[in-house]
Amino acid sequence: MTARRFRLSIGFTLVGMIALAGLLAPWLAPFDPNASGWNVLSGASERHWFGTDDLGRDVYSRVLHGAQVSLVVGPTAALVAALIGVPVGLLAGYARGRLNTFMVQVIDVFIALPGLVLALIITVMVGATMRNLVLVLGFVMWPEFARLVRGQVMSVRESLFVEAARAIGCRPARVLARHVWPNIMRTVAAQLAIAVSSAIFTAASLGFLGLGLPPPVADWGGMVQSGFDYLSINPLLSLAPGGAVALTVLGFYLVGRSVE
Amino acid sequence: MTGFVLRRLAWVLPNIVVLTFLLFAGVSGWVGSPAAMMLGTDASPEAIAELNRRFGFNDPVIVQYVRWVGGALRGDLGRSFSTQQPVADMIGPALPVTLELALWSIIFAVLASIGLNSLTWARRAIGAATTGVAIVCITIPNFMLGASLIYIFAVWLGWLPTTGWVPWSEGALLHLKHLILPVVTLFAFYFGSFTMVYRAEYRSVERQLFVRVAAAKGLSEGAVSFRHILPSAALPVVTYVGLSLGQLVGGAVVTETVFSIPGIGRLFVSAIGSYDYPVILAVGCIVLVGVMLINLLADIALAAINPQIRL
Repeated sequence: MTARRFRLSIGFTLVGMIALAGLLAPWLAPFDPNASGWNVLSGASERHWFGTDDLGRDVYSRVLHGAQVSLVVGPTAALVAALIGVPVGLLAGYARGRLNTFMVQVIDVFIALPGLVLALIITVMVGATMRNLVLVLGFVMWPEFARLVRGQVMSVRESLFVEAARAIGCRPARVLARHVWPNIMRTVAAQLAIAVSSAIFTAASLGFLGLGLPPPVADWGGMVQSGFDYLSINPLLSLAPGGAVALTVLGFYLVGRSVE
Repeated sequence: MTGFVLRRLAWVLPNIVVLTFLLFAGVSGWVGSPAAMMLGTDASPEAIAELNRRFGFNDPVIVQYVRWVGGALRGDLGRSFSTQQPVADMIGPALPVTLELALWSIIFAVLASIGLNSLTWARRAIGAATTGVAIVCITIPNFMLGASLIYIFAVWLGWLPTTGWVPWSEGALLHLKHLILPVVTLFAFYFGSFTMVYRAEYRSVERQLFVRVAAAKGLSEGAVSFRHILPSAALPVVTYVGLSLGQLVGGAVVTETVFSIPGIGRLFVSAIGSYDYPVILAVGCIVLVGVMLINLLADIALAAINPQIRL
């Protein structure tokens, strides 16, 4: 087994595990994730695998339910980013002359912008709801798609079959859809997986900085932050949701990088 | 070369203006009435109107923007809503802290990634595992790495302080002790991505003719690796430092929050938490302008090395 295949299988295993955890959370979780109790800040035990948080909620159940949030936010945000970035990239790659130069420079400007800082500013302005979060993350991530697609289009554009299609009089839209797109689909799919991982990464960072989904939603980033003060009492309050984020991000990233 | 620099400037400067204007309009439009915020909820409408008039909050956004830029260029960034301090006085001491953190991390990451991946015995011994390690370093969120490091080295082993910041003036040793964990936290992402970039480049340079000549004339493996491959393979890493600056800013924001470091990132996060719009605006603009200017410098430096880019 090559290193690439090995990484791909680890990636798929991780993604599969997280997906199962999210889908089966209502049945797997031993407790209601939002039910508080008198038993606050207890350590890991047979009853509470990861202990309980400062409101007496079962951390294991909350981590499982947190997977649902990530699995909704990550892929939809990646999709939004692709829906903006891919057309821009197609246009930037296929256009020649002044339009090409202009688009490239616009993409470069947006790529250089600090994504997390931008996401923080926009999120605090529009408010942290599920829909806003998805749109903000999509907006922050589209330049990566645009740059990637543009590069791919540039190389495919020069090939003979594209020239032939143009020669028999295909319109640009048809050339792009029927001749260029099938050749770059695989790269876009790989980038989609990487974008899912970076969306989950950024969403969790926003949550950690206090701009995650409002309570009582089990948001991994927010859980890491609220458990932070109790590291010496029960480190799992932070490290369990933090580990879940890390594994999810790693899983999607491995899939994306190995398909590419 | 002069033409290239001028062309880049002619593109970057308008961009800076447009982006800072968008930021200004966005933030001030979102706040709505800064006067109402400054005076609190039970201020009379007359007092709010009076303050609006005095500070010019009723003027068109473009007028307010020009006034704000004029002040900013003279070092006047307004006053914080929550502490009433001049914003410039809050940013002044915070900026060097963040820069020190970032600089240590980048320097160590460049040295470690290039060094480790050039040592031939290290390449043989851990070569196969390196990509895996690099990927983990790239994907692990700063808050997770920071929390784990604090738990292991501060809470559990008790070797290092948990959080906080001690300036140089209060003791170099104490300063460095507080610096280790945050620097490692920020270092990880860079180490990972530099390693990926450098290894890919190393492999392609390794196959080139001048490397085979160097090996054929009897140079030791180490000499070939360090004196012949390293100089040409290291350039993309340097380029990458500029490219990933945005990522660095995000990492610094999270890392400073994890370790309670009084840098620009934590200032920004606390300003966001208290809707302190002069601070959000000032830090946002500094970051924006800083990132764009450093990218410009990187472009110019690359063009100076490689004439092809100047076209």
